[in-house]
Amino acid sequence: MSVNINYLLLIPEILVLSLGILLFVLALITPRNLQKGIGYLATLGLLGIFLYMPIAWKYTGMAIEGMYQVDKVAIFFKALSLLAGIFVTAIAPKYMEKIGYYSEFFVFAVFTVLGMMVLVSATDFLTLYLGLELMTITFIILTAYKRESAIGAEAGIKYLILAGVSSAILLYGLSLFYGLTRTLNIVDIAAVVKNNGITPAFVLAMVFVLAGFAFKISAVPFHMWAPDVYQGAPTPVTAFLATGSKAASFAIFFRFFYLAFPGIKEHWVGLLATLAALTMVVGNLVAIPQTNLKRMLAYSSIAQAGYILVGFLATDFAGFKAIMFYLSVYLMATIGAFAVATVYENVTGKEEIRDFAGLSQRSPIMAAVLVVSLLSMAGIPPLAGFAGKFYLFYPIIKNWGWLALLALIMSMVSVYYYLRVVLVVYRDEPEDKTPITLPNSIYFTLLITMAVTIVLGVYPTPLAKIAQQAAMIFMK
Amino acid sequence: MLSPKGAILIFFLTGFLLSIIILVLNYLLSPKSKSLIKRETYECGLETIGPTWVQFKGNYFMYALVFVLFDVETIFLYPWAVRFNVLGLFAFVEMVIFIGILVLGLWYAWKEGALEWK
Repeated sequence: MSVNINYLLLIPEILVLSLGILLFVLALITPRNLQKGIGYLATLGLLGIFLYMPIAWKYTGMAIEGMYQVDKVAIFFKALSLLAGIFVTAIAPKYMEKIGYYSEFFVFAVFTVLGMMVLVSATDFLTLYLGLELMTITFIILTAYKRESAIGAEAGIKYLILAGVSSAILLYGLSLFYGLTRTLNIVDIAAVVKNNGITPAFVLAMVFVLAGFAFKISAVPFHMWAPDVYQGAPTPVTAFLATGSKAASFAIFFRFFYLAFPGIKEHWVGLLATLAALTMVVGNLVAIPQTNLKRMLAYSSIAQAGYILVGFLATDFAGFKAIMFYLSVYLMATIGAFAVATVYENVTGKEEIRDFAGLSQRSPIMAAVLVVSLLSMAGIPPLAGFAGKFYLFYPIIKNWGWLALLALIMSMVSVYYYLRVVLVVYRDEPEDKTPITLPNSIYFTLLITMAVTIVLGVYPTPLAKIAQQAAMIFMK
Repeated sequence: MLSPKGAILIFFLTGFLLSIIILVLNYLLSPKSKSLIKRETYECGLETIGPTWVQFKGNYFMYALVFVLFDVETIFLYPWAVRFNVLGLFAFVEMVIFIGILVLGLWYAWKEGALEWK
């Protein structure tokens, strides 16, 4: 028996794996006090692989027969995962030096990226679960990094248990599917459904899988873990969780539902609409009273998951294009905000919103990036978030008018808590007026996220075109 | 004729009731003794020697982890070894990579002092 493997399509994954092992071996053979370079090496390595992605864009197909699909959507999300990895490893070094186990952090970050890349290409339960667990288990280790502090340990334990529970729920759903359809392949499920129709047990399995994915994207009512984990995890890890993990989970969620159940939409769109509405309302309303910046960003990221779910309800080409566009834009804004939080926490040890008073006087660039990121998340023109929300909500107005209206109202609500931070940053006087100096890697990260957020807001066409090309695979 | 939904309902109800019946039966039928002997620490059927509230060393945890690592390796090695002739060079190279990654893990554990008894 031999398996058909197309290695050409697997080059990015092989490179990331090699990079992870290389960093690991380097960390083994160099003494601890000489390991500072490993962080920068991780960033550069991931950047190199990211630069390969435009070449990979041209080669699509089945990498492993029936199990591993490399299409343009997969490549798009792989590039997003790499981008998240690059930014996270770029903002982490100074912060992780204080926490300890410095080089391990970067090894884990690289392997997390690998997990995401496997996940977004999966077309089979086995590869899906493999990628998901590679991503989740490394994330468990990363979230538990601040184990010396009480909330850090709490975050680690909480993520461990809830990730375990969500995996169990997902697995239960998948095993029910296997029992009902005798296939592990996601695409084959659709064929079985077409021939045999569906049974109540099938719907039950679908709900289990939906719940499993909803945990990962932190949709209400499966969001309980997010605020505590986001607050207790090291800030670069929080940024990674909010961007990379979320994007990859969304990618597989949509691929799964769109490929496996295209003919039985009526059984899941209602559920999804409820989930989206709940997520937007709870996320935005609970974000208002938060006093901790990381907690507020956690609730805001829950709300953002709600907007993206709204986009999925279009279940067509335009919706998928919008989702891909929005996830990229959201990634830039989130990384920008968390990069500022990382630096500030590293310099002052504080992360409450009121502690950011007078940031504009201490570091104008940090204040500017924070404001641009938050306003982009709120969807204020001319920033990229506005274009993203426009793409998301426009296709569903016809069939889901009430949901689009709710999304718009909730976007308005979100402006309040985002602007509150802006007010503190620009209006209030700082307690300590010493300017904050930024390391180069963070400086570049801040500049890039801000530039992309502004440029894509004014001229979204290039990214929209790429997303459109990728979404073509959903044209049927 | 029972609808499929009805079958699921019966399945759930039976499961639910059965667990309750078993718990209740257990409670009713089991002999109850509240003597002191029952509360003694049980150690392989023998009488305990010395105090039983001793602390176990946390180091065992490390050994368990390293053990699991190589236990899993063996599980994967056996089927491969049995079908070695059929699987050929490709599987051999894959196995070498697999063992190589595990060896790196052992190397790390060794370097971090997980194999030393403290």
